[in-house]
Amino acid sequence: MANIGNPKDYLILTNNPLIVECLQGKGAWTIDFRPELKFRDVLVTARDLVYAGHLLYTHPLSGSVKPNETPYKSVILSVEPHGMDNDHAIMIANAIEVTDKFQILDWSHSEQAMKDFRLIDYTLICGAIGFDALSGLSNKQSL
Amino acid sequence: MKLELGYIQIKDIQFSKECKVENGTLFIDPEVVKAFMYQDDDVKAWVKDFSFDIAKPGESVRITPVKDVIEPRVKVEGQGGQFPGVIAKVDTVGSGKTHVLRGMAVVTAGKIVGFQEGIIDMTGPGADYTYFSKLNNFVVVAEPVEGYQDHKHEYEHAVRIAGLRAAVCIGELGRNVTPDETQEFETFGIIEGAKKFPELPRVAYVHMLQSQGLLHDTYVYGVDAKRSLTTIINPTETMDGAILSGNCVSACDKNTTYHHQNNPVVAELFAQHGKKLNYVCNIITNENVYLADKQRSSDWTAKLCRLLDLDGAIVSQEGFGNPDTDLIMNTKKIELQGVKTTIITDEYAGQDGKSQSLADADPLADAVVTGGNANQNIILPPMDKVIGTLDYVDVIAGGHNGSLRPDGSIEAEIQVITGATNEMGFGLLSAR
Repeated sequence: MANIGNPKDYLILTNNPLIVECLQGKGAWTIDFRPELKFRDVLVTARDLVYAGHLLYTHPLSGSVKPNETPYKSVILSVEPHGMDNDHAIMIANAIEVTDKFQILDWSHSEQAMKDFRLIDYTLICGAIGFDALSGLSNKQSL
Repeated sequence: MKLELGYIQIKDIQFSKECKVENGTLFIDPEVVKAFMYQDDDVKAWVKDFSFDIAKPGESVRITPVKDVIEPRVKVEGQGGQFPGVIAKVDTVGSGKTHVLRGMAVVTAGKIVGFQEGIIDMTGPGADYTYFSKLNNFVVVAEPVEGYQDHKHEYEHAVRIAGLRAAVCIGELGRNVTPDETQEFETFGIIEGAKKFPELPRVAYVHMLQSQGLLHDTYVYGVDAKRSLTTIINPTETMDGAILSGNCVSACDKNTTYHHQNNPVVAELFAQHGKKLNYVCNIITNENVYLADKQRSSDWTAKLCRLLDLDGAIVSQEGFGNPDTDLIMNTKKIELQGVKTTIITDEYAGQDGKSQSLADADPLADAVVTGGNANQNIILPPMDKVIGTLDYVDVIAGGHNGSLRPDGSIEAEIQVITGATNEMGFGLLSAR
């Protein structure tokens, strides 16, 4: 069983393809790529995992791009169910409540905006796990 | 530590072949500034070209997308130089004499991540929401090299350095100018201060720095705040360029480098220092994404408050959502040490102002000052001139598809305006 805080215990729940392209196989973490999930659905899935005893490793509202302005969301949880943490349950519930306050914006017509949204989400996760975001990006052909 | 600031009031900026400050006018040759910026290899590598413009208060001018705002200054006496650890060597700043070109700013503009940069209107309703409309702005618009889209971080770094270098180049022109006004700021050692003001409450400023990740960064003496534990710093160091913005966060509550140089919390605490309170120091702490970092940093903040025997602390944050958790964790833990807190923040309370304002809350956080509701709607009429580009208006945070109307007017939330709801309280919104 992986200790709390060990990268082996990182479950990266994401709907962002850039996470898979740059981080898959680059560390001990596990990536659960769910492209079909919308921003809010990622949070709800994370919430259910928190209820099942998985810990949150990253803040669900990371990034100053507001919820629903970006379609992409990545949350790191524990692979192991270490036991439900009340503070984490409140945090993820608050995050869903906050998300519902923001209008859903559709930027799918702007590929550059979508690329930027993927990049921001990816770099925030890199910062959290201490992975060099630039080297991850240079390993792929283009964004 | 004692710092003297000498304010040189800049009432006008003019392009000129000769560079000088004379009778309150900055005469500047953009080619000189450009050459100084291009001395940096990263600027050379990532910025294809710069264009320059001047925007004055009251003109029908819109600057967008705004990246950073910087006040030009020069160290004339004492240790260190401008932006230590980034432009100048890493020597400690915050003592001696610094000349300030007041009433003006260097504004960097251009595309980086479009949806995270803001608008400064120099006239009209938008101008009422940003202090930067009251300044004479020397605007530097950066044009990236081809293929920059795949290298946003390098490009952001290059534009950040370019802006700082432009400010240093211009600030240097104030070196031999006699200031219109000077002001001294001094804080004391812990025991020295306690002996000097035994009856006054001991107050510190807990200054939270945006540090969520790349493009959400703040630098302290060149160190990425994300990689630092909570620590203490002399307030005069922050006034002297030790902290700078590397941010591409929402425009309304981004702390630009100008905000750090002119932090109003620091100014107000100094104004009351030795009168109503003993201003002990600033505590700088981060806003990381990783939850264990949040816990460590907020624990540390509370420990320092106790170690410093504080009676009160002012806590300011930068950003919304993730930082709200740090804000509440800090506040709660400081209060539990028996130290009274007051929070400064802004609100995302919905366009009707009825929703909960922050993403987190606690009964111990019962003293809050707001910088305004970022969701408030505004219509910005068209301007005669746009410096930068309107390409991104639809995608700036707070805008929406259709924000930019055919006549050039913009319907959006005040989030789009640089500095509109600043969380240090550096704003024009007031309930007074």
